[in-house]
Amino acid sequence: MMRTMISLFVALTLWAIPVLAQDGGPLRIEITEGVIEPMPFAVPDFVADTAEAREVSRDLSRLVAADLGGTGLFREIPQDAHISRITSFQSPVQYADWRAVNAQALLTGAVSVDGSGRLVVQFRIHDVFAGQELGEGLQFVGTRAGWRRIAHKVADEVYSRITGEGGYFDSRVVFVAESGPKDQRAKRLAIMDYDGANVQYLTDSSSLVLAPRFSPTGDRVLYTSYETGFPRIYVLDVASVGRRTLPTLDGTMSFAPRFGPDGRMVVYSLTQGGNTDLYSMDIGNGQSTRLTSAPSIETAPSYSPDGRRIVFESDRSGTPQLYIMPSQGGEARRISFGQGRYGTPVWSPRGDLVAFTKQSGGRFHIGVMRTDGSEERLLTASFLDEGPTWAPNGRVIMFTRETQGAQGEARLYSVDISGRNLKQVETRGGASDPSWGPLQN
Amino acid sequence: MNTGQIISGTGHLALIGWALIGGTFQSAPPPFEVMQATTVSEAEFAAIMDRAASPEAVANVDTPEPPAVGETAPQMTSDADTTPEAAQPEASAAAPPDSAPDVTGVTPPAPAEVEDAPPVMQVPSEDMAVMVPEVSPRPQPRPAPRVAPEPAPQPEPDVRVDDVTQPEVTPDEGADVAEEPSEATAPEEAAPEIVTEAEEAPQAAPSASVRPRSRPDRPDPPRDAPTETAAATPEPESEPEPAPERTRPTSDRTAIDDALAAALGEAQQSEQQSAERPSGPPLTGGERDALRVAVQRCWNVGSLSTEALRTTVVVAVNLARDGTPEIGSIRLVGSSGGGDTAAKQAFDAARRAIIRCGNDGFDLPVEKYDQWRDIEMTFNPESMRIR
Repeated sequence: MMRTMISLFVALTLWAIPVLAQDGGPLRIEITEGVIEPMPFAVPDFVADTAEAREVSRDLSRLVAADLGGTGLFREIPQDAHISRITSFQSPVQYADWRAVNAQALLTGAVSVDGSGRLVVQFRIHDVFAGQELGEGLQFVGTRAGWRRIAHKVADEVYSRITGEGGYFDSRVVFVAESGPKDQRAKRLAIMDYDGANVQYLTDSSSLVLAPRFSPTGDRVLYTSYETGFPRIYVLDVASVGRRTLPTLDGTMSFAPRFGPDGRMVVYSLTQGGNTDLYSMDIGNGQSTRLTSAPSIETAPSYSPDGRRIVFESDRSGTPQLYIMPSQGGEARRISFGQGRYGTPVWSPRGDLVAFTKQSGGRFHIGVMRTDGSEERLLTASFLDEGPTWAPNGRVIMFTRETQGAQGEARLYSVDISGRNLKQVETRGGASDPSWGPLQN
Repeated sequence: MNTGQIISGTGHLALIGWALIGGTFQSAPPPFEVMQATTVSEAEFAAIMDRAASPEAVANVDTPEPPAVGETAPQMTSDADTTPEAAQPEASAAAPPDSAPDVTGVTPPAPAEVEDAPPVMQVPSEDMAVMVPEVSPRPQPRPAPRVAPEPAPQPEPDVRVDDVTQPEVTPDEGADVAEEPSEATAPEEAAPEIVTEAEEAPQAAPSASVRPRSRPDRPDPPRDAPTETAAATPEPESEPEPAPERTRPTSDRTAIDDALAAALGEAQQSEQQSAERPSGPPLTGGERDALRVAVQRCWNVGSLSTEALRTTVVVAVNLARDGTPEIGSIRLVGSSGGGDTAAKQAFDAARRAIIRCGNDGFDLPVEKYDQWRDIEMTFNPESMRIR
């Protein structure tokens, strides 16, 4: 309604333009068609005043540029095209020089080492064409070993100031690291930075592990292990690598766990007597509540960000489809109606979208739809894509892509929710089942 | 490299790979592969923990250097870390980029390269027969990093100023030789909308229907039969476009007025007309269109948040006589559809568009300066959101 009124108003305004113009009012035009392209930005090396700082400053500024360029929203202007050099962080920027190379955003920074040997990184973001700073300068202090995190934090800040959305660079991903041939693949849990750096292994490969899921604060991981021969759910503390089993009934199989937004409730699937249903558990006291009791298979539950609803997969209609129900159980509403089979729904951290895996026409897709099932959009297509997980800002999805054939291997990919910027995440070997953690503090 | 070669190349690669290794599967479970099951040593663990230690943020950098001196080296851990990390610089001396510190892993390059080909290709190789016909209308939509109202084929086309109007202009005026050389830089190939991997080619229709409107009309046609032009040009949308003045307003009177105005623009002026319109002839539809097109070429919404993409902003700007915007005069007049932050992002993008594309002066008739000195532009991203 509002929009209609606005359009009407604008239409009337435009209609009246000759009149207004002759009355000396401003000329009015409406721009409705723009372009969508990466914004060109420049990151000259951060200024360093000592040799020690210089060691880090280049790597650090390169990593910031890589973070930003990797989003597909920005395009770095190569340093050899720069006309102007930044030699002092404090002196004013020659905007004309940066305008000349068509840099729309400019990041300048300085790196120094303080008395206690810690890195001090200061930076400013400039809107080149407006000829002014974008917000205030900022400073991060951290350990030298933690320079990558400082760089990610700088990039997050730049990203959010320019786009208006939260960043996601200073975040980690837990996943299943795979090695060995397909028929006897060894799997173990691993954790890495969002860009594939700093891999640490959380378990050994003695037993099959599946589907790790970060807690909302990123300090714990839920996963399913076949250690006992049956799938059981474990919760693992990331810092200490200590773990424990979630208490479930003997003789049952439990899997597909996922934390609620409070980090206390866990929703999971439990198979008993050949029927699979959804349960939730308060991991503080181990109390489980049954949420569904249909003869069909209900699995892959995921909480909404407010914790009030759960989206899950069920084959109650004959084929696997997506449903939403209240988080205490109750009537479920089907939201997927397209051709094919839908699975592994994950609620976006913004709450507006659900990402899912879809199998249709012999191919697998990662897609998104609104929570009422409308505006379904498939973002990828391949032999096997599955298991989407959201970046903390709800703008990027990471998933597993497995290639065909005996030599086929699973790798992690990421894609923007617009379907652009599909690319592989660098991992040393095979990798699957990613779960993207929150931004770190 | 064309698509055919790529497909053929990977097809062959896949075939060779299959021939080499295809026969070797067995289901017998031999012992698994070499794999360092690293238990993390205490030192490593300390290093990891330290790496994970959050940097502290301090706002307001303006206070120059000494800010953090006050902190008296609290954590002993930081001493411990310098040792492991002393090893890293050596590695990074050889290979500065980020990967070095991680694990000095020799392996990464190899998988990465092998990987590149398979993901895209493997499926196509099967579907090739189906793909080929479909691909032809829209050969390389994905790689196009730019989405623009007008799809652009490949880099070849011209300088920015030309890329929108060119289809019309070329026959009339002949391309300027001077513009050819600069082509490499500016307009990259562009798709009319975002094409995801999952989408094939069906969605040409909607974008095509919108197209006719955006071509800037020349001032000459109306001269002979203005009303007919108005009737003849099919205006697909009843949306609020500048074009209306000339063509759509539908009342013959307005159409005639506009045609007259256009004719007058060519013939410099005429008294009767200025009697009707005291402050001189208004801009013609074509001139207004040209201005609109000039701004929208630089209006990049690609880095806007989804909320900012729902925000319409009205931006006022004063132009100098040479058509360049006075940067200080660019201001946000109003916004709708989003919060303050979103409105600011949207305004920033609009301001950049005006400044960038107005850098050399918008192409506006000087004799009508009074008409375009003050401009209010409404930036409505609604149609961009659904691309």
